[in-house]
Amino acid sequence: MATVIGQDIIIEGEVSSDEAVVVAGTVRGKLNVDGPVTVEAGGIVEADVGATVLSVGGSVTGNVTATERVDLLAGGRLVGDVKAARLTIADGAVFKGNVDMDV
Amino acid sequence: MSRDFATSKSARSTSSSAKEPNILGSGLRVRGRLTGAGDLRIEGEIEGDVKVGGALELGEGASVTGNISARSVVVDGSLTGDVNAEGAVVIRASARVSGNMNGSEIALEEGASFTGRIEAAFELPDGLMIGSGTAGRRGR
Repeated sequence: MATVIGQDIIIEGEVSSDEAVVVAGTVRGKLNVDGPVTVEAGGIVEADVGATVLSVGGSVTGNVTATERVDLLAGGRLVGDVKAARLTIADGAVFKGNVDMDV
Repeated sequence: MSRDFATSKSARSTSSSAKEPNILGSGLRVRGRLTGAGDLRIEGEIEGDVKVGGALELGEGASVTGNISARSVVVDGSLTGDVNAEGAVVIRASARVSGNMNGSEIALEEGASFTGRIEAAFELPDGLMIGSGTAGRRGR
């Protein structure tokens, strides 16, 4: 069952899941998902993130490791290093960090 | 009419940002604190305190180890910790609860496993005077 962390929810700690996670609220700490992670506009992640697919429409501050791909959407913001085989950064997105595609 | 063009592209996101129910799914594990302003449904595992401004529901597969504070609480799963609710606390038949319950109404269904204390604090209507205006029993 997918997890939806709504915009009024704040989780501080280690979060892990084996199913899809949608973050519209705030996650601080660590986020490790064996599945897709979607950070929606307004969502805030201040954590290192592990996922298969990471889609950033909100704000992610932390190092990201994705086994498949990372998509940084217009309006999204990613500050941290990215390790992923595939990466897209849309026009209008904000990104600061190192990229390592040699997975 | 032109707004339709703009909204149809993002129709999914507008409908989802309108009021997405907060669900911590069955595959989720949290070790840490959880706070929220609205309602929340937990199906996963939480180790830590949960403080929610609205209604909190622990599904049958849920497991919470920590103290809970919410407006109202319904427990179907496993809870080890205290509950502080402004309103009703309902412990369903499939629940396994160990902790102290505090609320204005506590319901414990037959079949539930419960260890702990129950404290229900509610105000009696002003004396039992006729014409006091407010109903005596709450929410049933």
